[in-house]
Amino acid sequence: MRRLVWAVVLAAGAAPALAAQGSTAELLGQAHQFYEGLEVERALPLLRQIISPNWPFEVTRDQRVDAYKYLGACLAVAGKRDSAVLYFRAAIERDPFTDLDPSLFTPAQLATFAEARRRTLAVAVRPVQRGRVDPRTARVTFTVVATHPALVDVKLSAIGAGSPLSLFQGTMDGVREIAWDGLLADRRLAPAGRYTLGVVGRSRVTGASDSARVYFDLRHEVAALEDTLPGLDRRAVLPERISVDAARRDVAKGLGVAAAALLITGAANGDLGAGERGGADVIAAAAAVTGVVAFLVHRRHGAIPENVAANARRRVERDSANARVRGRNADRIAATVLLVSPAAGEGTAP
Amino acid sequence: MRAAGVIAGAILSAAPAAAQRALTVAPLVSLAEHRVDAGFGVERSLGPILGGVGTVRFSPRVTVAVHALGGSLFGSQGVLDRDVGELGVEASVITVPWLALEAGATRRAYSTKLGRQTWTLVGLGATARMAFAGNAIHGVWRAALLPAVSASGLRGPDRAFRAATGLAYRVRTTTLGVEYSLERYDFPAAAGVRRLEQLSALTLLLELRLR
Repeated sequence: MRRLVWAVVLAAGAAPALAAQGSTAELLGQAHQFYEGLEVERALPLLRQIISPNWPFEVTRDQRVDAYKYLGACLAVAGKRDSAVLYFRAAIERDPFTDLDPSLFTPAQLATFAEARRRTLAVAVRPVQRGRVDPRTARVTFTVVATHPALVDVKLSAIGAGSPLSLFQGTMDGVREIAWDGLLADRRLAPAGRYTLGVVGRSRVTGASDSARVYFDLRHEVAALEDTLPGLDRRAVLPERISVDAARRDVAKGLGVAAAALLITGAANGDLGAGERGGADVIAAAAAVTGVVAFLVHRRHGAIPENVAANARRRVERDSANARVRGRNADRIAATVLLVSPAAGEGTAP
Repeated sequence: MRAAGVIAGAILSAAPAAAQRALTVAPLVSLAEHRVDAGFGVERSLGPILGGVGTVRFSPRVTVAVHALGGSLFGSQGVLDRDVGELGVEASVITVPWLALEAGATRRAYSTKLGRQTWTLVGLGATARMAFAGNAIHGVWRAALLPAVSASGLRGPDRAFRAATGLAYRVRTTTLGVEYSLERYDFPAAAGVRRLEQLSALTLLLELRLR
């Protein structure tokens, strides 16, 4: 029972808001019916109620623009041209994209509307639509409007960075679509971030000025890039110079061979006399001299050509591997897709 | 000498089959001295020996080598001259970078005007190779026991071993080796006489890597 009471209370609270929406739309619908039935005198009060400050219900921007437009149309039919122009201008000022469908309105209404547009300069740009654009094959499209002939400057700029890119500068009248290839002034792909498209217009009829601005976020969709190979650290390269200790060990190794030769020919076969003692002496002398010469040469020069060559080969292999990685990464970056989504202001980019 | 030709032919005919393996050949020249004491004092003969070694590397660690040698040893002071020929095969496995374990068998023949003696030698040993700084020079130490030795007309020796040491100088794919080696055989006493025999050699070897 308690639940039922709460449900009734909540329903009663929500009802006025729903009714408000319904009331404005309902009244606007009735006005449309009267207008289409040529009952202009019955439509006018309904439309005036909607735009009245005393109208107690919520009126959306589109509903208000629609009310002004039909007010203008009704008054034009009624022969009240000045008042019609006034209401048409009110509609145009609120939504510069407002237009009359020639198949639904009379030439007199269209002429009156054109007069309203001529007297009112307004520029606007439609909010950017969420989309996915491959800059190699497609373009990001912006729709801008000037209500009558005006010198219009359309500029794109990244929030907080760089100089703006001029996308259009010239005279325009009416709606125009402007395509952007995703590149900035340096002909590089625009980096991810928040951008604004600003439109500034100066009337060539009245000299009045107007401006409009939309924001959007730009993100990159790119395949994961490969890491390049790290630089060769000390553990990855062979020593290119012989250390002093290693040079000293050369002497020991030479003496080791010499000692072994003398040991073999002396101790191993003493009871048969030293076999070919001269040969062992040759080896011993050659080994001792080799050890000493190696020591001296390595102390003086110390380079290990084989290791130098091996290290150079490793560096070349690493560099070529990195070049291949960079090439693949460049291909992936070149295939970057732009993700565009509308934004509310200059706040933090995603 | 005929045996040396057979081995050389075997190496050359095996080469196409081993096309994918590392192959080296090493012609060599030795100055060999043979000493024997059979109870009549030390008999000494000395002479040059020519030959070659062919090596096939089956993997970074396993190699098989065949060698063929032949030459003449000229006796001194009434000792008969003799020809010597030898064929052998040896396998080696590298256990650590500087040490290889080896096993091999050799057939050797001495020939004099009076007769012919053949030896069969089976050896187990190791070779240590240590690079001098720069890796262009290696010191080489070899030692092998010959646990199974048979010589025609003789009982097998009580003790037999082979030892060698030398240097190897490498320039690109060519290695020049110089080595002193000695084989020693102590035979058991027979009729109160103990036979001792040794073969020593100073060898110069040029190793060429073919592929």
